[in-house]
Amino acid sequence: MQKVGIVGFYQVKLLSDANYGRYEMIFEAVRGALDKAGLKKKDITTVISCTNDYYDGRTISNAFAVEAGGAYLADESKVEMDGAHALLYGMMRILSGNHKLAVIWAGSMASCFPYHSARLFETDPIWERPSAYVNDITAAGFQMRAYMEKYGVSVEEMAKVVVKNRRNASKNLLALEEAQNPNLTVKDVLDSEIYADPVTELMVAQPCDGIAAILLAPEKQALKITDKPVWITGVGYNQDAYYLGDKDLSESKSMRLAAKMAYEAAGITDPIKEINVAEIFEAYAHEELILKEALGFAEKGKGAFLNSEIDGELPINPSGGALGGNPPCGTGLIRIIEATKQITGEANGYQVEGVKKALATGQIGMCAQNNIVYILEGGN
Amino acid sequence: MSVKIKERESEVFKIINTTNHNINHYKNYNQKKFKIMTEKIVVANKGLVRAEFAFWVGRYMDKFFDAFENKKILGNKCPKCGDVFVPPRKICGKCNIMIPFDQNWVDLPDTGTLKNYTITYYKINDRASRKVKKPQIIGMVQIDGSNTAIIYRLLDIEPEEVKIEMKVKVVWEDKTKGDPSDIKGFVKI
Repeated sequence: MQKVGIVGFYQVKLLSDANYGRYEMIFEAVRGALDKAGLKKKDITTVISCTNDYYDGRTISNAFAVEAGGAYLADESKVEMDGAHALLYGMMRILSGNHKLAVIWAGSMASCFPYHSARLFETDPIWERPSAYVNDITAAGFQMRAYMEKYGVSVEEMAKVVVKNRRNASKNLLALEEAQNPNLTVKDVLDSEIYADPVTELMVAQPCDGIAAILLAPEKQALKITDKPVWITGVGYNQDAYYLGDKDLSESKSMRLAAKMAYEAAGITDPIKEINVAEIFEAYAHEELILKEALGFAEKGKGAFLNSEIDGELPINPSGGALGGNPPCGTGLIRIIEATKQITGEANGYQVEGVKKALATGQIGMCAQNNIVYILEGGN
Repeated sequence: MSVKIKERESEVFKIINTTNHNINHYKNYNQKKFKIMTEKIVVANKGLVRAEFAFWVGRYMDKFFDAFENKKILGNKCPKCGDVFVPPRKICGKCNIMIPFDQNWVDLPDTGTLKNYTITYYKINDRASRKVKKPQIIGMVQIDGSNTAIIYRLLDIEPEEVKIEMKVKVVWEDKTKGDPSDIKGFVKI
């Protein structure tokens, strides 16, 4: 397979209530990525955008962002999932052999709509939606309880994930200010308001405003653009059942299969030994544990026993993860940017030592129905 | 700035609240039994533009809702793997086969097992501002004889009494209409 390299990236500072519009944010991210890589508008051969019509409040919402996203009179299309899925599409465009530079941008503004209420629209309009018992938060309540009950894991373990990630986020200048907290305690997390028992307010990755962009190029081009390319050596993705009542919420089968696919592509046989850092999209605290188990880093139910601090056995979310700010559609792409930074040594303040291989994940759907995994490696 | 956002939020709430209108109203309104209408209100520069949305219930769900009118729960069974689905499915995802409409129906009791639950003080359809006084306990119930779980409220029970794997029973509305709201919730038996 031809190599595809990440040759540039840019993430805007995450804000809970940005006083500038998404149009400007998209421009800042895309232009920022191009400037950082020393490229121009004319170098772009394809643009992949990633937003959601509901979250943007208009249909075919990529149409309005054409100019801001560098897509004016260019090859442009949209992925309506997570930014990490948009990157896959961009990668495929590069692998088609027809493109030299793909811009992928993703994100939204959660300050403009009630995010959790809007997620009711994911449910079946003729069955679950009319009674309105399910949104992402109650779904997370079910999932956390299923995990705790099945493996006898205490709620304190979930709170510890929050403490770790929000402390890590406090070192990340681009993280959401409201999410940053170097002194948070387990008690604070458990004492915060109950959203859907056992999920409390601080266990929720707060939806916020933000856009991120990544530039992809084929090997030959990538080496011309940068002396520090990061290669995508493996990708895997998988989709689970739609109805929550159809599946075992205590584990993530879709992530397990996605990881298998990515590991096979990258030739990884012992993930815990071979991968140096992981950026996992955890929309809720418990998802970090469930997903890290599905990724093969720990036995089922034992995720909490693996030290995932920055200096731990396997650092997970040194940037703060989604708990450090969750711009709808953008979070998965930010995970890939953060994994890239770890390889290039640009994670100022939260750099993990000696990163050769990094893993990043994206997800979409209730209880992380769909998961996508990337394996990234440095080197010329 | 904050005032502006509030205005915008309230418009979105309108969209969501209209979705939860009594769906039977829309059935009658539309003169077609199978259709459930929801409204989408789009905020334009001046005033509101209303765009209605229709969802085709389909034969399987129509039969399922018809059974609700008689306070009965129907499932259907995959002829290949034998899984029993509530609500009934046209397709078994695992086997990737169509479950024929004219057979494979299973009459199920209105009792089941609580598989999971969550407790929330928020109204799902209006999470940002409205809180309910008493917490809602929302349960995932596996109807006896089925392989899937459905999500409804647990009634007449305090949070500390709720136990996973406890047996529960449907509480039907007195007057049924043939839609999801016919099930008021579940009570412990």
